[in-house]
Amino acid sequence: MTFYSLVVLIPLAALFSNAFTHGWGFFWKAATAKEALSAYRLTITCSLVAALVNAVAGLGTAWVLVRDSFKGKAILNALIDLPFALPTVVAGVTFYTLYGPKSPVHLTLTGTWTGITVAIVFVTLPFTVRSVQPVIETMTFNAEAAAATLGASPWRVFRTITLPTLLPAIVTGAGLAFARAMGEYGSVVFISNNLPFRTEVASSYIYSLASAGDPIGAAATAVMMLVVALCVLVVVSVTSRRLVKGH
Amino acid sequence: MGRSPRWLRTLVILYVGLLVGVPLVFVFQRAFAHGAGALWTALQDPSMGNAIGLTIRVVLVALPVNTIVGVGAALWIVRHPSWLTRIIDRVIDVPLAISPIIIGLMLELAYAQNGWLGRPLAALGLQIIFSYPGIVLACIFVSLPLVTRQLIPLLREIGSNQEQTAASLGAGPVRIFLTITMRSILWATAYGVSLTLARILGEYGAVLIVSGNITDLTQTLTLNIGANFENYNAYQGFVGAGVLALTSVIILLLLGVARHRERKRHEHLA
Amino acid sequence: MSISLEHLYKSYGREPVLEDFSDVVPDGSLTALLGPSGSGKSTLLKMIAGLESVDQGRVILHGRDVTALPARHRNIGFCFQDYAPFYQLSVFENVAYGLKTRKMPAAHITKEVTELLELVHLGAFASRYPRQLSGGQRQRMALARALAIKPDVLLLDEPFAALDAQVGAELRAWVRSLQHELGITTLLVTHNQAEAMEVADRVVIMNHGRIEQVGVPSEVYDHPANDFVRSFLGPTTTFAGVSVRPHNLEVTRSGEGVSAVVRDVIRLGFEVRVVAAPADGEAVWLQLTHDEAQQLNLQVGENVTIRRRN
Repeated sequence: MTFYSLVVLIPLAALFSNAFTHGWGFFWKAATAKEALSAYRLTITCSLVAALVNAVAGLGTAWVLVRDSFKGKAILNALIDLPFALPTVVAGVTFYTLYGPKSPVHLTLTGTWTGITVAIVFVTLPFTVRSVQPVIETMTFNAEAAAATLGASPWRVFRTITLPTLLPAIVTGAGLAFARAMGEYGSVVFISNNLPFRTEVASSYIYSLASAGDPIGAAATAVMMLVVALCVLVVVSVTSRRLVKGH
Repeated sequence: MGRSPRWLRTLVILYVGLLVGVPLVFVFQRAFAHGAGALWTALQDPSMGNAIGLTIRVVLVALPVNTIVGVGAALWIVRHPSWLTRIIDRVIDVPLAISPIIIGLMLELAYAQNGWLGRPLAALGLQIIFSYPGIVLACIFVSLPLVTRQLIPLLREIGSNQEQTAASLGAGPVRIFLTITMRSILWATAYGVSLTLARILGEYGAVLIVSGNITDLTQTLTLNIGANFENYNAYQGFVGAGVLALTSVIILLLLGVARHRERKRHEHLA
Repeated sequence: MSISLEHLYKSYGREPVLEDFSDVVPDGSLTALLGPSGSGKSTLLKMIAGLESVDQGRVILHGRDVTALPARHRNIGFCFQDYAPFYQLSVFENVAYGLKTRKMPAAHITKEVTELLELVHLGAFASRYPRQLSGGQRQRMALARALAIKPDVLLLDEPFAALDAQVGAELRAWVRSLQHELGITTLLVTHNQAEAMEVADRVVIMNHGRIEQVGVPSEVYDHPANDFVRSFLGPTTTFAGVSVRPHNLEVTRSGEGVSAVVRDVIRLGFEVRVVAAPADGEAVWLQLTHDEAQQLNLQVGENVTIRRRN
């Protein structure tokens, strides 16, 4: 318990207290500065898109991993965890080189929202796959068979029976992916080129404030981000629980 | 529809292959772009050597600490529930949801020379920020929940029947833990420890702030890669990236083994 | 709507699950597929439903070869052992599912579903959700759901296996009377021989994917085709080297028969079991009614005579 406070709680408190050192007014001004707002817009948009893309991709991937069998499936299963295991900076410099100037595949995604989104999609893939996978593993599919005998086409069975069963896990996975994406730094900072007001993600903006000697402004923005992230997690948790009502 | 449609399999393999497989292969291709000789020379770069050394020293402290704390916390939360453990259970995931930059900022504010905890510690002659302890602290923070998250659902599922039986047979708590508990949680713990190792090795944002990124002194391998890249030393950067990519692949194998063994243990009971 | 099964064969890998299975299920009958676990009966049921593929052979529903037809076009009703409820839909919506899929008008659906729910005594539960129902209620909902589409054939896969003894017994009796009333050709899979005997007009006994015997319950019980059927359908004991039913033996203090010594008298309430050991040979156990046992008042260690009843 002492350990936890030393490591986590006290720094958290320090952050909040520093953010409000000059009172509410200053906090609000710093947290809603123009540059901050465009950073939020960028980060939220890219994170949302990435979470949605991976919600769908995660479902499909988990489905194949559980229900299909083919040579090399184990490799596929292991690859899913790579974004967890690989350092963000490695991903960052690799994406910059792969999809930037002098790109071997002739793509220039540096300095674009698309490039940032691609990096975030990479980083958040495991969240959506691993949250849905265990649920599919425990499904008996008897309900799906029953629906088929009642005359439903495969698509209708999927839409009315399978998807509602999986929706809570999909939402949870997407929520975790979104939260992670919002705070992502190492993998996006290179490919984004960090142009203020254009391709500067929120964490990058906070870093620039901190290293420019404005720790209070940085703290204020950070607190704002944490509040947003908390709201997202709460919404996801509530939605997920409401979706489970049938079970 | 059958088990799973063919077209879905193709799509998924393409998606994961392009998104994950291609970058992984690319890292190694770049590291070897100038041949094995140049690679070997690059690995002997003193700054990189210092970075690797520092990273190893961080792992040597942060990993065991988080393992012990992680296992202990999981046991405590599951076996001795109280209002306090319920709170901790809820907030345990917090470090995973916060941006590493914010984590670095938090730690800096708290432990800097003029910070809340920094001041009393400085009086004791301990410097946290911009030095080794700070880096260790940051790595502990970001990977704190990883072991615990794996163990809590497992411990709940296992229940304490076996341990209680052992106690009734006269075994003390340490013996019970070593002979009974550890056996059931071994592979789940191994999985969590592998994730922890990956996180510690790979931490960038938090360490960036907390360490000050002083080359040869407080620069971990991840920071080294970033610095090389920013200084247009792309090749050197990729060499370091290659090293970490290799460790990532090894960690993936460890994860696979742990996952497989845990499944075996689980099936064995059913 | 009769079901004709011709030379059905299925295997998973090398082991055949079903071998050369042929039978004709008469229109309107309630036939039980009885056999131990692994005898292939559930697989057979799913093949008839179109939920499992057929390796060889044909499935014919009322003259129509449906072997290649997908499940959703066969117009059959299927009930699972775990009831397979649609958890996220209400009881009403569960029962209405098949009708909604057929795009029936809403008023018609409401009328049909309400009637069905009344029929299965779940009228008050229409807006509840499956997780709020007991096992027996869920199975009745599953039945109503299957009947809603007016199926030609009803297939029940171990429908009572997961229920308490009392609930199961009540549901069994109710299903039997319902089936007689509606006259739908019904196929019931079970491993419980008492259940099959109680409910079915006709019993098909299976083992290792093959048919052992077919007939009405009393016939297969009294005239089992082989030892497997005999021992599966009821208790047996070996007397004078022959396998017989314990209640087909009688015991007296004198008279014709094999002499034996009483080893044990076990009172089970309605039934009394007597274990007696003949001089040469294994111990035999006999089944006496409560009154018989009371009249005889046997003691352990007594000498008695055992013979077969006529």
